Amino acid sequence: MSANLSNLRHTRGFDLVKPLSVAALVLMMLPLILLPLASIFIFGMSAGLDKFWDSLTAPDAIFALKLSFVTSFWATAFNLVFGLFAAYVLARYQFWGRNAIIVLISIPTAIPTAVAGFALLLLWGPYGLLGQYLSDDYRIMFTPYAIILANIFVTFPLAFGVIMPVLETMDRSLEEASATIGASRWQTFWHVTMPALRGAIVGGALLTFARSVGEFGSTILVSGNLSGKTQTAPLYIFAKFNEGQIEAANAVAVVLAVFSFLIFSILFFARDWLEAE
Amino acid sequence: MQGNESNKPAAVEVSNLSKSFGATAVLRDINFAVEEGEIVVLLGASGSGKTTILRIISGLETQDEGTVSFDGRDVSELPARLRSTGVIFQSYALFPKMSVEKNIGYGLRLRGRAKSDIRDRVDELVKLVHLEEHRKKRPSQLSGGQQQRVAIARALAYEPEVLLFDEPFGALDAQIRTRLRREIRTLLKEIKVPSIFITHDQEEALELGDRIAVLNAGQIEQIGTPFEVYMYPQTEFVATFLGAANILAGTFENGSFRSGEIAIDLGDTELRLREGQSIKLVFRPEDVFLRKPENLKQSYQNLAEAVVEEVSFVGAFERLQIRLETEEAQHLIVTRPKTETSMNPLAEGDRVSTGVVRFRILPNSPLGSEMFAKSV
Repeated sequence: MSANLSNLRHTRGFDLVKPLSVAALVLMMLPLILLPLASIFIFGMSAGLDKFWDSLTAPDAIFALKLSFVTSFWATAFNLVFGLFAAYVLARYQFWGRNAIIVLISIPTAIPTAVAGFALLLLWGPYGLLGQYLSDDYRIMFTPYAIILANIFVTFPLAFGVIMPVLETMDRSLEEASATIGASRWQTFWHVTMPALRGAIVGGALLTFARSVGEFGSTILVSGNLSGKTQTAPLYIFAKFNEGQIEAANAVAVVLAVFSFLIFSILFFARDWLEAE
Repeated sequence: MQGNESNKPAAVEVSNLSKSFGATAVLRDINFAVEEGEIVVLLGASGSGKTTILRIISGLETQDEGTVSFDGRDVSELPARLRSTGVIFQSYALFPKMSVEKNIGYGLRLRGRAKSDIRDRVDELVKLVHLEEHRKKRPSQLSGGQQQRVAIARALAYEPEVLLFDEPFGALDAQIRTRLRREIRTLLKEIKVPSIFITHDQEEALELGDRIAVLNAGQIEQIGTPFEVYMYPQTEFVATFLGAANILAGTFENGSFRSGEIAIDLGDTELRLREGQSIKLVFRPEDVFLRKPENLKQSYQNLAEAVVEEVSFVGAFERLQIRLETEEAQHLIVTRPKTETSMNPLAEGDRVSTGVVRFRILPNSPLGSEMFAKSV
């Protein structure tokens, strides 16, 4: 039997190992990834589309989704500009402490998000290191600004991490050629460096945005979780679930799941296209 | 135009250029000039400093000492973008996201030229480098030779003071390389833009250059026409780097080169050599004549009897290794053209008389300035 199997394996056109391994892969993914995702949709629709739509259009649900997207947008915008700047400086110049800066930028990936949120509270909170000197009008914590700050913190290295390797491996003679042709630094950056980074910038932005929209651990600490004021979509799901309103939680969960699916599809297909363009 | 030819400043002049990276001196007192329409090749091994010279001329690197001037204007302190040089990088450095046309027009776009002007100039250049049917393509869709022509056209677009080629044929295979360098030489002679090539390939240097500067360890050992540099090498390095050379060490005695039994008459010499000074006899493999002992004509300078040790056929000529039957038993490399080999076939073990037709005497000290060449 085993002799037979190993014979089959080496017969051209009849590789038994291939279908078996693919089947094993799908079987492993089924309970871990695919079924949990499927149940969101199955439960979400189980009470009927009307009910789903009502849950989704509840003012607090819409507010939570909007708040998530708006705060994520600003965090992404900031981290993209910062990531681009940091990557350019670190890829182009060698200086003392360069590696230390790279490690510092990357640290937020290693810190638990709850710790990140707690750290922000200890800095900007009413009794925080700096927060204690702020007047009540300028309190940051427990406002949407705190959510943006938390998002910036936890997604800090993402755009940088995508852009930096592209810049580092870029042929330096492209920029040198541009300079000898007569371009200023800014013109070279705009006409030569940026086009080469287009794919990385879009990729970094989508990654940062997707990660921000889903942020929970830090947000729940710094936002105050006030429904209709500082409650983001993931916090809304958690709150409704705790209140036993499964349909309400589920409707927003479906939107977030579809959203992340879209982001990753774009990442997957558009990057090749952007890079080839 | 005032002044005569000799007063006109050189198109490019490099004076007393020196450069160190840390404690290592990469360039020491480099001086040379390129005239209008001339092609100068900087020839040297990797690490000889040739790339650094090119980068300093283009402004991508700064010199520690010395000046670079274009048409008499000192550009030493200008940044790269204000120097107006056309650099053709080894990788060509074409902008991958721009079409051939966009690449060529880039310099004009930066200079704020009118769209119609840019279009006319690009049309002209695309025709000049024969890329009419490729003008809309991306660089990645072109062959190496085509990419190189785009790089040249891109540099020519803004009428640079000088074209600088950084090992432009390094990335191409041998066959294409030979064809391309002829094409480029023809093109450069047509457009008459002064050009500097750097290469480590002596054949390339001989074929491309109006003049060749041979670099060694950050210094120019010799500069001259390909003929001068090949026929009258001034140093041992030049003799061996540019083509093959046999070198025999000996002394200057009684107007002759002597090494053991070998005596070569240096004739009526203008040499400033001391009696007994140690000197070197340098000669090319093709300048050695081999004859069966009875046939060697006296008009050659006799070297010694020798034994053929190895015969190999290398395409257009035959290459032999022979051992002189002297005390030191020096080995020589000899090449013979086909006509010669068919008339006087030689095999391993044959005994021959050797003579040398053309040779150079170099003093055996790197600082010596005396040198002497002689053709028999």
